[in-house]
Amino acid sequence: MKAILLAIVGLLAVCLPASATQCHVNPVNIPREWVTMHRNCRMSMRQQIQMEVAASLQYLAMGAHFSKDVINRPGFSKLFFDAASEEREHAMKLIEYLLMRGELTTDVTTLLQVRAPERKTWEDGVAALEHALRMESEVTKSIRNVIKSCEDDSEFNDYHLVDYLTGEFLEEQYKGQRDIAGKASQLKKLMDRHNALGEFIFDKKLLGIDI
Amino acid sequence: MKAVIVALSCLLALSGTLAADTCYQDVSLDCGQASNTLALPRCNAVYGEYGRHGNVATELQAYANLHLERSYEYLLSAAYFNNYQTNRLGFSKLFKKLSDEAWEKTIDIIKHVTMRGDEMNFEQRSTMKVERKNYTVELHELEALAKALDTQKEIAERAFYIHREATRNSQHLHDPEVAQYLEEEFIEDQSKKIRELAGHTSDLKKFITTNNGQDLSLALYLFDEYLQKSG
Ligand SMILES: [Fe+2]
Ligand SMILES: [Fe+2]
Repeated sequence: MKAILLAIVGLLAVCLPASATQCHVNPVNIPREWVTMHRNCRMSMRQQIQMEVAASLQYLAMGAHFSKDVINRPGFSKLFFDAASEEREHAMKLIEYLLMRGELTTDVTTLLQVRAPERKTWEDGVAALEHALRMESEVTKSIRNVIKSCEDDSEFNDYHLVDYLTGEFLEEQYKGQRDIAGKASQLKKLMDRHNALGEFIFDKKLLGIDI
Repeated sequence: MKAVIVALSCLLALSGTLAADTCYQDVSLDCGQASNTLALPRCNAVYGEYGRHGNVATELQAYANLHLERSYEYLLSAAYFNNYQTNRLGFSKLFKKLSDEAWEKTIDIIKHVTMRGDEMNFEQRSTMKVERKNYTVELHELEALAKALDTQKEIAERAFYIHREATRNSQHLHDPEVAQYLEEEFIEDQSKKIRELAGHTSDLKKFITTNNGQDLSLALYLFDEYLQKSG
């Protein structure tokens, strides 16, 4: 008796999928020769995307810090919140690139993780700008490493990606670093003799208010 | 003696609820002291017992974190529907928009947390948080819409929960400022978004069930085109 029941259940299991509601269109196969990115290059791009996401979160924490009532530096807060959105856009741009090259048909879910930023407080504006500058240098170094792994592949030199990273990303990194470095030194000079006042005025300057 | 104690404790209780001139008191006490430091611990933006009673303050931090997590998840869904195999640019656009909105809300809530004199804690999770199992963005169209609908409901219901915590109307748990912030910036738009997504799932359901499912591939193509052109 039991055997018959089992057989029926087994039969149902086999037959059911055939008559089940189909909620999607079956995937099709098309040639894949055009999908040419190599493993090391792909992996380093994926890591770079995660790094941009991490940078966006670190900048969010900076924005939050300078937005506090006891800190009260809305100019710095705006600067860092904007930087956070920019980092998110960098992650999106790299993702767009991978999609253009036929990537991200699988393993999309594992592409990035949201982890709480490491640092939450800074002594003053200078400390935060210096932290930002160090962080950007790390990012620049990391992009250079992506370029290396996409260029040095013995079977496939990924000229186009290398050009894209060099022309778009390194360009933006160097300009961005120069901007932060200029701000950090200007603020440091201002704060040398007039600590609180210097930071106050610089903050308003960041807001676009002339005093 | 007992009467004096009762009177004293009454006075203390009063000073706890009515924010007396406390920042001013700090200033009067500290200014003119021999030392050159000003602590002024009560000169801050905290009022109405924010962060001192109940969980509204921590729930608001957690609400920012919820938006942050969902924002990046939506971003991955947008990416998935934009690969050459799925190639559903309308679905991708829908998820990109959800991601952008959640990201903007993240920053907005963080600003609100600090506006109320608190600091942001990126580690804070809600007591309502349900851990997700087997989370994936690699879903077909209807599955992905269903997931988005569930997620938007999760976000909306969390707003209801914080609103409830903020409006218990007891002595220590009443924060109309947070309640009105949630109503104005979240609750109203959330109902529209949920209705929109539910409408999409209804449309897809009809495409699947009518004509024995024969319409599906063309229906999905056209629906994706529609998503690209609308909204
Ligand atoms: Fe970046
Ligand atoms: Fe950057």
